[in-house]
Amino acid sequence: MLDEATFSAELRAFLAEHHPGPTPRGPTKLPFLRAWQATLTDAGWVAPAWPRRWGGMELPPHLQVVYHRELMLARTPVPPTNAVGIVGPTILTNGTDAQRERYLRPMLRADELWCQGFSEPEAGSDLAALRTRAVLDGDRYRVTGRKVWTSNAAVARRMLLLARTGTLESRSRGITCLVLDMHAPGVTVTPLRDMTGGAFFAEVAFDDVEVPVEDRIGAHDEGWGCARVTLGHERSTSLTASAVRYQRVVRDLIDLARERGRLSSPATRQELARLVTGARLLELNGRRVLGQVLQGQAPGPVSSISRLQHGAFEQRLHETAMTLLGADGMLGADQRDGRWVRGFLRTRASTIGAGTAEIQRTTIAEKVLGLPSEGEERQ
Amino acid sequence: MTTAERTGTFAFTPEHDDLRAMVRAFLADRSPEAEVRRLMETPAGYDPTVWSVMAQQLGLQGLFVPERFGGVGAGFVELQIVCEEMGRALLCAPFLSSAVLATAALLTSDDAAACERYLPGMADGSTIATLAVTEAGRSGYAGSWVADDVTVQAVPDGDGYRLTGEKVFVLDAVVADLVLVVARTEAGPGLFAATGGERAAMTTLDATRQQGRITFDGTEAALVGIDGGAAAPLAAALDIGAAALAAEQAGGARRVLEMAVEYAKVREQFGRPIGSYQAIKHKCADMLLEVESSTSAAYAAGWAIDDGSDEIGVLASLAKAYCSEAYHHCAAENIQVHGGIGFTWEHPAHLYFKRATSTEILLGSPRHHRELLAQRLGF
Repeated sequence: MLDEATFSAELRAFLAEHHPGPTPRGPTKLPFLRAWQATLTDAGWVAPAWPRRWGGMELPPHLQVVYHRELMLARTPVPPTNAVGIVGPTILTNGTDAQRERYLRPMLRADELWCQGFSEPEAGSDLAALRTRAVLDGDRYRVTGRKVWTSNAAVARRMLLLARTGTLESRSRGITCLVLDMHAPGVTVTPLRDMTGGAFFAEVAFDDVEVPVEDRIGAHDEGWGCARVTLGHERSTSLTASAVRYQRVVRDLIDLARERGRLSSPATRQELARLVTGARLLELNGRRVLGQVLQGQAPGPVSSISRLQHGAFEQRLHETAMTLLGADGMLGADQRDGRWVRGFLRTRASTIGAGTAEIQRTTIAEKVLGLPSEGEERQ
Repeated sequence: MTTAERTGTFAFTPEHDDLRAMVRAFLADRSPEAEVRRLMETPAGYDPTVWSVMAQQLGLQGLFVPERFGGVGAGFVELQIVCEEMGRALLCAPFLSSAVLATAALLTSDDAAACERYLPGMADGSTIATLAVTEAGRSGYAGSWVADDVTVQAVPDGDGYRLTGEKVFVLDAVVADLVLVVARTEAGPGLFAATGGERAAMTTLDATRQQGRITFDGTEAALVGIDGGAAAPLAAALDIGAAALAAEQAGGARRVLEMAVEYAKVREQFGRPIGSYQAIKHKCADMLLEVESSTSAAYAAGWAIDDGSDEIGVLASLAKAYCSEAYHHCAAENIQVHGGIGFTWEHPAHLYFKRATSTEILLGSPRHHRELLAQRLGF
């Protein structure tokens, strides 16, 4: 097994040599991020959990943690792709070799950006109620409907789409997973301006969009399970890494308090100590999950709480930052310490996206604690 | 290397699981609720037979005592597992005072002669020891755990010393054979071993753990460690105590969560189990988050102690602050989930609530530990 110190030293050396510097804002941002992602990919420093055959590093979990940690410490740019997350693992796990061959490498290099077509106006928390319809017509599906809250839709080349192929009543049993070409006729992307003022999300409308049958992932009507896979320990290692990143953000916040002369306030000190605690707990919980997984045990209940905990923590962190900004909290995000204002606005979504905090609590209560459901099927 | 930088993960081993199962079975047999209720009404507050079996057959009192001093020489995490189970069962016994605090005070004093003299008896259960630090305080602020705040005087007399003054909130003061007293000489605060002193019970909120007053009036005592040198070893002993108490709190918190969930599954109102209502589900999910995080926090401190990490102080304070509030909240929510029955004397919910409240204050409040955390992290 590759030695941790050697691995870490090699990665550090690579990052020291190739780090592209701080990420620019504005129109040069995306090309900058894509170039960095290509550099990483070509040197073999991407997708720590993926098999080597498909461009990944195939690292054991403890080295995945080291990988994420080193990137975090080096403050490397955030990857512009969501290859690591849902899209990549879905194709890795449920795609054919032809699909993997065609999609994975351009995805990793960020040559082709992807988006996820999941949420709809009438299917938010209750995703299994989605209505966007895909009708099989010979050797193609014809897709009609609408997706909303689609990240990166404006720049994405492809969409991993969940579409209704059964009746509405079939819920999760009548959903098919397709790869949709965002440049195909009938696709309309309308930017969705969110409360931060940015347009990170979009609405995507489909008007009789054709998708060849060979672009289906998995079987007809069996897309629900396909798109819910995560890969190996990718989720727990990357969550652990983001917890470590938050410790750095908390240190930045302590610096902010120091600069603004607030560190002598007992109330501020208490609140900062709470945030230090929150960030450490995210990491410690992550390590416990990883420890259990490494010993071949089930991840256990602690894994199910981490998203809930991340959301609450991010909000509290930024609320504290706003109190430290004082009157500057009334100003826009273009001020000197505007990152905190941006984060304050952005993190309202932390308890909404990918399942609201309420849905997560209900799921934890039912799936982990075994409390009875309310009668409605929920998946 | 700090724990934050380490990529190591922690998980319980099969040996840990065996120890936990053994202690749980023993306490289920020897410390069921009826026994807890019986003992909490007795002046001694513990069962000498059970105490003796714990020491002689299970080796619990000597778990953390090195073999050269007559103990088992196990790790601190093992001791935490025992404390967690005791917290779960609300065991009435002078374990925290003798097997944790007094043991830690002797070990951190680095006084091999004192360790040889006292620890074997403490490990085999024949000596009950306690640590006396807190006093009524000069300005009405009672209960400080800081060595520099003590006023009890130690005056040299022949080969030994004589103590004068009063200690309050001393755990198991009435039953302790040996009292390790933090007292002041001209050189500063030192640690002294005494067997005398006038003992009086204090009526405690948490009847399952006894506290008392010890009045010294020229009481004979022997110096442990260096004259005037108690501050640093005491702080180290209190970190160990805080980590053990945090584990006890995690155990209690987990038990009250289980009670709440069990009850929510069977108690019906409006024709269905109350656990099917989201208001109850969300409470229970939040409790689970706190319980799992408490476990992570407590054992992170424990692993740091076993590793001799430089983060023992940080993690011990973090764990004590977090686990205190988590236990308090879970114990209160358990009463709420139970409704009226949870407010009765006959229901055990109040026993846990009182233990939670008492342990929250013991060894320093969450506020105190958050301030320590801030100082230890350099802000």
